[in-house]
Amino acid sequence: MLLSESARVTTAQEARFRIQAPNSKPRAVKVIALDSEAARLVDDISKKPWNGAAFFKSLSFEQSGGGNVKAWLNDLAGHTSDLVGEIADADCVVVIAGAGEDAAAVSVIAELCTQYHKTLVALVVPQGSYEQDTVDRSLKALRPYAKMLVIAHERDYIEAMLTALRA
Amino acid sequence: MLKKEQNDLVTQTGPGTPMGDLFRSYWLPILLSEELPENDCPPVRVKVLSERMIAFRDSEGKLGLIDEFCAHRGVSLWFGRNEECGLRCPYHGWKFDTTGQCVDVPSEPEESGYAKKVKLKAYPLIEKGGVLWTYMGPTETTPPEPEWEFATVPLNQSFTSKRLQDNNWLQAMEGGIDSSHVSFLHRGDLNNDPLFKGAAGNKYNLADSKPVFEVVEAPGGLYIGARRNAEEGSFYWRITPWVMPCFTMVPPRGDHPIHGHFWVPIDDESCTAWSFDYHPTRPLTDTERQAMKDGKGIHVRYVPGTYRPLANKDNDYLIDREAQKAGRTYSGVEGIGMQDASLQESMGPICDRTKENLVGTDNGIIMARHRLMRAAKALHEKGVLPPGRTVEDMKVRSAAVILPPDQPYKDAAKEALIAKVGVRQTSV
Repeated sequence: MLLSESARVTTAQEARFRIQAPNSKPRAVKVIALDSEAARLVDDISKKPWNGAAFFKSLSFEQSGGGNVKAWLNDLAGHTSDLVGEIADADCVVVIAGAGEDAAAVSVIAELCTQYHKTLVALVVPQGSYEQDTVDRSLKALRPYAKMLVIAHERDYIEAMLTALRA
Repeated sequence: MLKKEQNDLVTQTGPGTPMGDLFRSYWLPILLSEELPENDCPPVRVKVLSERMIAFRDSEGKLGLIDEFCAHRGVSLWFGRNEECGLRCPYHGWKFDTTGQCVDVPSEPEESGYAKKVKLKAYPLIEKGGVLWTYMGPTETTPPEPEWEFATVPLNQSFTSKRLQDNNWLQAMEGGIDSSHVSFLHRGDLNNDPLFKGAAGNKYNLADSKPVFEVVEAPGGLYIGARRNAEEGSFYWRITPWVMPCFTMVPPRGDHPIHGHFWVPIDDESCTAWSFDYHPTRPLTDTERQAMKDGKGIHVRYVPGTYRPLANKDNDYLIDREAQKAGRTYSGVEGIGMQDASLQESMGPICDRTKENLVGTDNGIIMARHRLMRAAKALHEKGVLPPGRTVEDMKVRSAAVILPPDQPYKDAAKEALIAKVGVRQTSV
């Protein structure tokens, strides 16, 4: 019996002939810590080698002077960054929130993500022992904005996710 | 994407591998009861986790799962004679019982005790819910017997099938937790398949092809919630449980039976896709059961006398380009089970995840891989038993619910996600 096209091409032997050229360009993943607890995590993670990912701390709504998006972000060296420029330049935006911390800044980030058609992924990272209602508060704050919302009890999940996204 | 060494770790399940050890921590479905229908029936060849075995039901109904090959000269015991409480090799008459113990070596004097010194590797084999299950790990860490709801309801409330799939287990399982593909690959079936159509929730699936996801860790695995818009600002949630390492359930539709899968490695390049349907509170109707036998829903039609799908890679899955063009099926392949299987097999025997480009909404898959790798390493390096082994982990259900916008599904649907005897599934 002659092998069908599907049977022939799905063998391990045929897998050797798959084109090995890269099939995507590096993506701009912007990782933004929404609070000081998340900022510590992001600070640690940013020290690992990444494929162009950029890491920021978001200023709270009040600190930014009530909505000055030109000075909304701090990079990890402490320099301020223009939120609009960073979002416009992003392929994917990941916000990270500590459980129960103030995540109000997400609304401004999300608004820009909508304006620039960017996917917003939100991670809630409970640390140590925590109360469930603190996680719930964070989820409630993030739910209206995130395309994907994840509770990551293991902090190394953030790294795993960023690696999976080729960040 | 995964690095090559990570992809090797999660896809290799042979003896001595970290993921192989992980799989050997659970009871796994390996045969349908119908494959060993009566005492002294013909034995059946089985390959699981890259180990070749022979299964048989002896003269007293005891089930045996032993090394396939005779300890004497290496003949396959598939040719054996299943008689008088043992399987006798037809080559020189050596005979083995269900524990693998050799009980007769005709060439040696019985008094010599020679037979007692020969024993084949054997694993326990138990029957539950029309399925035969084995546990291939250390005896001292045997988990509780299977308590999955589909295997504990009366037999007239369930239907279980299996199909052979020519690819690694992980790419098949990942399809089971990837809710977003339903709006594309299976969209033609939501309103046509007799085991799906008519459910109120279908219209939300079809109207909103960009669901929003929420991934929540459970003690034994994950819950993956997919949220779509419903009426008046409310949300339609479909909640898929994944229990480690390879159990998934599809959220229900209306009063149709609930269904789900086990994805069990045969070897690193093939797996058995187990598909079950059951209703928690009523017998399946004749129409439903016939539809399942006819390959509707998540089941498939077989090449007669086998568990190989009738539509398979040798016939290009009977792809119908006219149906694809007309939108009757999205991929041109008929049937939900084969739509999944055809695409998963097309990835190749072991998907090369170094080349994939995941997006943010693939977090369910990313987290499942992360948990698998973490658990496999913890078991292999430190002997830490993995999650998903308790009765509570097994008492799980999928659910479909409509909730107000501010209500978290993990709380609002908490009770709906627990299997309870005599309680109907929560569905839309």
